[in-house]
Amino acid sequence: MSVDRLSWRAGGCHCGGVRFEVALPPVVTAQTCNCSMCAKTGFVHIIVPESRFRMVKGAERLVEYTFNTRVAKHLFCAECGVKSFYRPRSNPDGWSVNGRCLDTVEGLTLQIEAFDGQNWEANAAGLAHLSQEPA
Amino acid sequence: MTLALTGHCHCGAVRVILEPGRPVGELPYRACQCGFCRRHGAATTSDPTSRLHIEAAPGALERYRFGRNVVEALLCEECGVYVGSAIKVDDRLLATLNVVGVQLPGFEGRTPEPVAYDHETDDERLARRMARWTPAVLVETQPSA
Repeated sequence: MSVDRLSWRAGGCHCGGVRFEVALPPVVTAQTCNCSMCAKTGFVHIIVPESRFRMVKGAERLVEYTFNTRVAKHLFCAECGVKSFYRPRSNPDGWSVNGRCLDTVEGLTLQIEAFDGQNWEANAAGLAHLSQEPA
Repeated sequence: MTLALTGHCHCGAVRVILEPGRPVGELPYRACQCGFCRRHGAATTSDPTSRLHIEAAPGALERYRFGRNVVEALLCEECGVYVGSAIKVDDRLLATLNVVGVQLPGFEGRTPEPVAYDHETDDERLARRMARWTPAVLVETQPSA
């Protein structure tokens, strides 16, 4: 994937308090997950390196929730509860953006694959490359 | 007799008990397409013949209002999970429950029916909720063990 095909897309929570931008190619593989947390939020994971994500607004409104190993930093808006993005345990050097929170998916193809988060230890290594910065 | 269904948010601060008035497989399962429900990945059930109990630890419920400002979306303050929405009509509390958020059993394998209510007038909206939503009781107390 060549870097020049990336375009910045905007998104955010429901009340508008939290806004972000993420640089994505035209075709993106995204993951749904059946772990205890993702199952309750329906999170659609678009995992990107640090350099392809920027928080535009609302850092002060984010509530952090952690559990189990406490590596993942689950972040939601204090006002509307929406989880727009977070630091995933599989990719703590990058971000996972919620595909449900993009303003529009026009011109974007989301290829959804099911990630078996109930067996996280056996599967997480398969996601590690998604947050690697381009060489 | 139909057994009660129980569920909770991720951290457990908000718990629900649904006493179904009919077989669970016959309860509606809907995916509202509004911007709030979409972002929460919500799929809901409601049924006027059922009874819903919502039990929240003191201070655990965040109430979020938007749009016409008449319904309260109930969120867990601790883990952010969207539990359901409630409205008070006269003295009755009516609610719709986010099956996804509390992982209510009995809906596995079902695909929620996409629904959109944008076209409704305020009166139609209220009439729909009165006809379809579940009579509910909300108790703010330490959840029993």
